[in-house]
Amino acid sequence: MKFFRKAVSTIALPGLAFLSALFVSGLLIAFSDPKVLKLAHSPFKFIGGAFAAAGKAYLALFEGAIFDPNLAHPNFFDGFYPLSETLVAASPLILTGLSVALAFRAGLFNIGAQGQFIFGAIGASVVGFKTTMPVGIHVIAAIVTAMVFAGLWGGFVGLLKAKTGAHEVIVTIMLNYVASYFLLWLLSTTPFLRKGRQDPIAPPVKESARLPHLAGPNLRVNLGIIIALAAAAGVWWLLNRSTWGFRFRAVGANAAAARTAGISVPLVTTLVMAIAGALAGLGGAVQILGSEYALTAGAGGTFGFDAITVALLGRANPIGTVFAALLFGGLRAGGLTMQANTDTPIDLILVIQALVVLFIAAPALVKAVFRIKQLKVGSGVVSKGWNG
Amino acid sequence: MVRLNQYPMKDMGLLGGTLKKSLRYGAVIAASTLAFGITVAPAAPAATAVKACLALDTGGVDDKSFNAAAWRGAQSTATASVTVKYLAAQSDADYAPNIKKLVDEKCSVIIGVGFLINSAIVDAAKANPGTKFAIVDQDGFDHGPNGDQYPGTALTNLKGLQFATNQSAFQAGYLAAGFSKTGKVATYGGLNIPPVTIFMDGFAKGVAYYNKVKGKKVVALGWDTVKKDGTFVGGFSDQAKALQISKNFEQQGADVIFPVAGGLGGATAGQSMTGHKSVTIWVDSDGYVQAPQYKSVLLTSVVKGVDTSVAGVIKDVAKGMFSSTGYLGTLANKGTYLASYHDLAKKVAARLQNEVRQLGIDIKSGKVKVS
Repeated sequence: MKFFRKAVSTIALPGLAFLSALFVSGLLIAFSDPKVLKLAHSPFKFIGGAFAAAGKAYLALFEGAIFDPNLAHPNFFDGFYPLSETLVAASPLILTGLSVALAFRAGLFNIGAQGQFIFGAIGASVVGFKTTMPVGIHVIAAIVTAMVFAGLWGGFVGLLKAKTGAHEVIVTIMLNYVASYFLLWLLSTTPFLRKGRQDPIAPPVKESARLPHLAGPNLRVNLGIIIALAAAAGVWWLLNRSTWGFRFRAVGANAAAARTAGISVPLVTTLVMAIAGALAGLGGAVQILGSEYALTAGAGGTFGFDAITVALLGRANPIGTVFAALLFGGLRAGGLTMQANTDTPIDLILVIQALVVLFIAAPALVKAVFRIKQLKVGSGVVSKGWNG
Repeated sequence: MVRLNQYPMKDMGLLGGTLKKSLRYGAVIAASTLAFGITVAPAAPAATAVKACLALDTGGVDDKSFNAAAWRGAQSTATASVTVKYLAAQSDADYAPNIKKLVDEKCSVIIGVGFLINSAIVDAAKANPGTKFAIVDQDGFDHGPNGDQYPGTALTNLKGLQFATNQSAFQAGYLAAGFSKTGKVATYGGLNIPPVTIFMDGFAKGVAYYNKVKGKKVVALGWDTVKKDGTFVGGFSDQAKALQISKNFEQQGADVIFPVAGGLGGATAGQSMTGHKSVTIWVDSDGYVQAPQYKSVLLTSVVKGVDTSVAGVIKDVAKGMFSSTGYLGTLANKGTYLASYHDLAKKVAARLQNEVRQLGIDIKSGKVKVS
């Protein structure tokens, strides 16, 4: 019972925030539908039409994220194609989310997951198309390279902070620009040009470097999701069960006290940023080796920025981050179907995501709306200020 | 024209500007601003015989460039028996899922807009031989699993739509050279990629041709036809940089500027309007129609017929005459052309107008080589 109550209090806020976001977005769907607006003359028809429009859109969202009965015959298993898409979209998000969450716990704001993700993608792509290795070893080599590239990129920020006091927020934001322009330049150099093309698209990674599919060739779900879950377990263990994790959290809770207790804050700062970078880089590797197979100028997408939202939603907790990333992955995959089936603009998915965060970040609002008196609100670390 | 998503710049700018007391609020603001620009997708009519579907790239349907042009072309074909729809992508990762959605929806023809969609289209065309496909700005050939087999294998259900825009850009270069009072003209691009540089190369060669014929020394800034390199913005969304490039060209004395960077042409045209030192040649579509706010400074436009070629494919499918033979837009088939001078016609000498017209005829006949 106690456990149950604890579980409810943990998920109540994100859950209610999500419901509120769905409600507001439902209104937006209804009001942006010209067919619904035509019914405005009759209030009853209007409300019915609004419910129908929003319901149809959310049904499509579900069909695009979990299970689509239209795809389930002749092969029932194919009906889970949307779930596979959700996992594909969630895998890199879990990893970049973990990157941000880990840094949060050590009192660092890693806004640089985007740049680290890009460097991971570059590392994985280079090894993937440039080298020839046996199956199995090739994948591992590509992943390790990605993590090293991104780890150095992230660790550099930690080192700067440790040695010079440069604020990691500013440095990581700026390095994101450097990374994305570096990628753009790289894609214009000869080794990264696909034969016969001069577009910014690298040659595809070889078959031997691709992550194997988990559920047959028709579903894109691949080893990336397993890697992501394993990484989440690893980060959980690191933070909660290891000595280093204790040091990380100690620095995050109170750097001065940690220093007094004999913990090397510069070392922790550098190490945390390096690990955070490696996690984001692993995300880039999973994206390239698992589903995209080729480096493009837009390969980074918005994974690094969505990661901040995911980590916030997951309360900077590895397990929470996994669920938040799965939710966002589902919204991404479902959003494409929502657009296809109901002509609901895909931008609305961004609105839902933004509203979820808005409600999460304003617990007082959710409390007031749902008239809840006692609700556990956020962990102190996440809401620490600029000079923390 | 090609447009790449510039998410990092967009988002980091916002995040960087709004981070204040706490990251939490910064992230909220950034996340909320992601939601700008909601577009209402058009409602498709009831199911009918031909369903033509566009898979757009991350530029979105309102990019005032080639996505918009493709959609305009598709819409122009909509009749009682032809329905059209599009799916937009938020990131490069959306291309393959979007195309699968369109296949599952049993679209009669699926048209990929933009070179980045090429791999996804080729894969889908191989996996779904019963569905017809087309791709804008690519040859549509299968170049093997490593993308290095050339010329590659043609697919019987995939048509490539390409454009010899260097033909019309060549005319534009000749026109610019003849129009210039300072003896200097300029061009710049969004990115150093073929669909962009083909315009710039044609333009510079048109200027060189003018010099050869007239014995003049008009300088074309911004593109080196030998080194195959020139002036680039580095993307298709940085208005400030495009404006800076335009100002630099003006300071160097250029009085005709040809921006090949999609909507960024607006920055150059805006500078032409305020500075009164230059005129602008618009790119992709007739700027006089698509960007009328700049019509007082638009000398002409180098039009790339994305809209007409997309419409052509859909009409062929509707007539049951789809062929996978690649389409090449040229001056001869009006797949690319120099638009009218519109309001500036009286400033272009009649003789120059005639020469440009004759040049077009000579390019069509092969008398003048543009590349």
